[in-house]
Order: sequence, then C-alpha cells, then structure tokens
Amino acid sequence: MGRNILNIYCLAVYAFLLAPIFVVVGASFNAGEFLTFPPQGLSLRWYFTFFENEVFLRAIGTSLWIAAVATVFSVVIGTMAAIYYVNFAGRYKEAVRVAALSPLLLPEILTAIALLFFLYDIGIGTKTMFGLLVGHVLMTLPFVFMNVSASLESYDTDWSMAARSLGARPWTRFRRIMLPLIKPGMIGGALFSFVISFDIFTISLLLKSIGTATLPIQLFDYLKTNYTPEAAAVSTLSIVATITVVVIVEKVIGLKMHKF
Amino acid sequence: MTEVRLNRLTKIYAGGKPAVDAISLDIPTGQFVSLLGPSGCGKTTTLKMLAGFEDVTSGDITFDGQDVVRVPAEDRDIGMVFQNYALFPHMTVHQNLAFGLEMRKIARPEIQRRVQATLEMVQLDHLADRYPAQLSGGQQQRVAIGRALTIEPRILLLDEPLANLDAKLREEMRVFIRDLQKRVGITTIYVTHDQAEAMTMSDIVVVMFDGHIAQAGAPRDIYETPKTAKVAGFVGQVNLIEAHVDPDHPGHAATPFGPVPVTAPGVGETVTLALRPEAIDIAPAGAPGTPATIERVQYSGAIVDYTLRFADGTAMEVKTIPRHPFAIGDAVSLSVDLARFRQLEREY
Repeated sequence: MGRNILNIYCLAVYAFLLAPIFVVVGASFNAGEFLTFPPQGLSLRWYFTFFENEVFLRAIGTSLWIAAVATVFSVVIGTMAAIYYVNFAGRYKEAVRVAALSPLLLPEILTAIALLFFLYDIGIGTKTMFGLLVGHVLMTLPFVFMNVSASLESYDTDWSMAARSLGARPWTRFRRIMLPLIKPGMIGGALFSFVISFDIFTISLLLKSIGTATLPIQLFDYLKTNYTPEAAAVSTLSIVATITVVVIVEKVIGLKMHKF
Repeated sequence: MTEVRLNRLTKIYAGGKPAVDAISLDIPTGQFVSLLGPSGCGKTTTLKMLAGFEDVTSGDITFDGQDVVRVPAEDRDIGMVFQNYALFPHMTVHQNLAFGLEMRKIARPEIQRRVQATLEMVQLDHLADRYPAQLSGGQQQRVAIGRALTIEPRILLLDEPLANLDAKLREEMRVFIRDLQKRVGITTIYVTHDQAEAMTMSDIVVVMFDGHIAQAGAPRDIYETPKTAKVAGFVGQVNLIEAHVDPDHPGHAATPFGPVPVTAPGVGETVTLALRPEAIDIAPAGAPGTPATIERVQYSGAIVDYTLRFADGTAMEVKTIPRHPFAIGDAVSLSVDLARFRQLEREY
C-alpha cells in the first residue's frame, strides 16, 4: 500500500520533469505549419527546414565553438584553482571555495551586467567574442572546480611523496601521478562545462557582439516572430546532443571510478 | 652501502617546542635500526628529515660522510615505504615497480630485468599485472617494499609499515622484512611505536621521548639494562622499586628480596631499581624466599601473569611459565637473583 503510493508519487515527479521534453520532441515531428501538440500528422519536414536554415546552423556552430573554447579555459583554470584550494589555501580555504563558486551563487543577470560594465570600462566592450567567452568561462568554472576538488580530496599526498622519493621532479609528479588520478574529475567537469555553456542565455544575451548569436539566443529571436515546429526540431536536436554527453559521462567516468 | 650519521639534528615547527631536539646518532652500514617511541616523540619527523620531506631546522645528516641536508628528496636516493603503502592506484604492480627506474632514465630491457628480479624477490611475479586495489594488504605491503628497493637506494626508510595489517600477517611480515633486509644488506631505518616489532627486527633500537633519544642500543641491552624508568616501561613490563640505601649495608639498597648493590648516594637516600617480572621465581609458601600473597592471576596458556603483594604493601608483577596452579589469595614465596636488579637513572 505505502509502496504503491511511493510508486505513484515517483511517476508523477518524472511526468512533471519529462512532459515538456515529450511535448517538444512530439511537436518537432509536426507536419503542420504551427507549433502545436499533439502534432497534426507526422513528418520530418521541419528538420529538413532546419538543416537548410543557415542562421540556425551558424548559431549552433557558434555555440559549439564557444562551448569548446570556454571548456578548455575552464578546465585549465578550474583545475589550477582546485589544486590551490585543496593543497595550498590553508586557512583561506573556505574563502577560496566561496570565491570560486560565486558565479553559481549570484544571479546570472548580475554577473552579466557587472561584466558588461567592466568590459566597456576597460575598453574591450563587446565588439569581439572575447567578452562572451569570458562570461562563459566564468559561468562554467565552478563546475570544473567542484568536480576536480572532489577528485583531489581523495588524492593521497603520500602518492606525490612516494613519487618524489623515487626520483620524480615536480612536473613529472604532476603529469604521471596527479593528473591521471584527477582526470575523471577533470573530464566530468569538462562535460558539465560544455553542456552548461551550450545552455547559457542571460550572459550571452548581454555580452554577444552584434551579429553573433548562440543557439539559445537565436531560438529566442526566432520564437519572437515565428511559431513553427522548426524551433521544436532545433530543441530536439539539442536534447539529443545533451543526452549523448550524459551517456558519455556515464560511460567514461562510471568505468574510470570502478577501477580504483 | 651507506653509513648514516645524525649530528645534533633539530626540527622546530613555527611557534612550537622542538619536535626533534638535537639528536645525534651513528648508524653503521647495513644495520637495521628502529626508532621506537609513543606518537609525538619525533620519530616520524626524524624519518621525514632523513627522506628529505621535512626541512631541517639545524644539525646535519650525512650519508657516508656526505652532507645531504640540502639535497632534495628526489635526488637523495632513498627507498621509502609508507604506512598506507602509497602505491600508485592507476598503475599495475609492474608499473609501480618500474616507476623509480624510469625516473632514472634506465633503458627498457634493463628496467624489465630489474622489475622481474624485484617481483621474484618479493614473491609477486604472478601478480605483476594486477592493480593495487586488487591485492591484499600483505601483497600491497610487499609491492611497496619492492618499489622502494628496485631503485637500489642508499638507505631504506619504513614508516610504521605494519600498522595496517592484522596480527598474524604482521608477524609474517616482520620475518619477511627482516630476512629481505639481511639478504639485500641495506642500511634500514624503521619507525614504529610497537616495542615487539622493534625488539624482534632490529640490530639497534633507538627509544625516543619528547624529541630526545632516551636510549640507543641492541634490543637486549635496552631490555635488560634500561637507563630510565620510561625506557624500561616502554620496552616491556617492569617492577619499579623505590628503595632506601640500607643503613646496615653501605652501598646497598634495601629491597624485599634483600640488600641490592647500588652505585650509591649516602645512607637514607632513595634509588629506583627495575626488576623484570620474569626475573622473579615463584614457589609455594615455605620455600626459601620472601613471602607474598597472590592478588590477581592472568593465565594465557604458555605464560601466566601474577600480581602479588608483600606484607609491607608493595605490589609486584611476576611472569612465569604456569608450573603451579596458584589461585588468588594463595600465600607464596618469591625469590630472585639479585644480579637481575637494575639501578635506573633519575629523570628530572
């Protein structure tokens, strides 16, 4: 009896979480002119439309490019920050942690406005992709930081000492011992970072240069004037991409963790 | 092989009293030396300074007369075995053993040969491709020792290596480590708080308290001729007897067993004498000796421990093979070879 109620409750929660996805995916196969659910007839026409729509393709290209570059920077900076935080911060440990996580704690719009003012103040502005990239690195940094810190907390400093006694110099100790052992955290952080960057809206809206648009911005723009199932097709492809990344996380990290 | 010498070696952490306070010690080539003491006595700090993991505040460490204080750990050529083994979890046993040789830029075939030799030496050739997590505690321990030895270091340092093993395995590993050390002939420094380990394995036991060396010597000397009550008590059970110098026998202290010769202060002053529990013979009442009463019996098979009390109220521990089935309350007679008494130094 109690178990049945629990089951029903779980089903309800899942339905609440997943229903919008079903609606979007369903609507993307619409044969009609308008974004409706349930779809009026099934067709892939809006996918074809999308693949011929250069604006969307360019937006996806921009999003992928920014996500990739931001992830690289986030992983490098976030890993260095995590190493400092775990091994060297001493009594400033808590302060370092809060600082590194602050982009998560503050409303995104505040970070965006602050960055916008700052970029104009120092004369960089938003003419180039630079500001946008900085914003994305800032927003994805906490995820790398958290993942790598977690890996480092289970890193035994005796491993470094053992390597040292065997003749390994600092860089070799990092490359041969620490790096392989925190790699799962770095990969996890990188995947999070990529997915989060792909999804960032507010920062992108304020910091994008004229004429560039990431996918979320382009979708928003499109929906302001159009209401076709093409938007649903784009969304569906984004969902597929996200799930692919999650599956990779599970395969790569899940297996890695098993070995130790 | 390497002779190790510590000269007034000192370590002071910021704002504290010395963790290691001007200790001096000569370790002859090929000897197995234990640093024995309670936690916080400075034994691990001493080991870390030897390894190069801790800076030296003052004093010298020399290997074969060569000062190594300013040589970084990675160039000091020491083999180190950690309490938790510190095996690299992402490397197989073979890769763990090869690591130190790779750091020395030794050619592949030679690495292969030396790793194989080490695997055979620590009896692990059948597990070369396993990861540390797939090994038992005892096997991990042997990998750790093998890894430290493949580089053919000048000295071998072990930091409480048996602390995480169960009692039976610990005894096996004691024999294993000792045999291996003898075979390789490497100068070895072993940190432990377990007196049985230190006594059974070492050529020299160094007993440390509060950053000082209380006494250094062969296990037998430490046990039979302890300098202070603290040393006597740390390496085994001991009866401490505060005795007055006997007015009737100048140069002797009065004990329940009779006058014991002491290097004596004047009449009326006290000295502290140590007497090991197994030095005392226990016989049924009426036998020659000093009468006493049994207060407590702890029978453990091969040996039995008695707590006894003399008529004057002094308590005494006796350890013996269980010859007589004495029970609590029995009157017995105790005797001792007076030469077994040891006069202790005063501790201030």
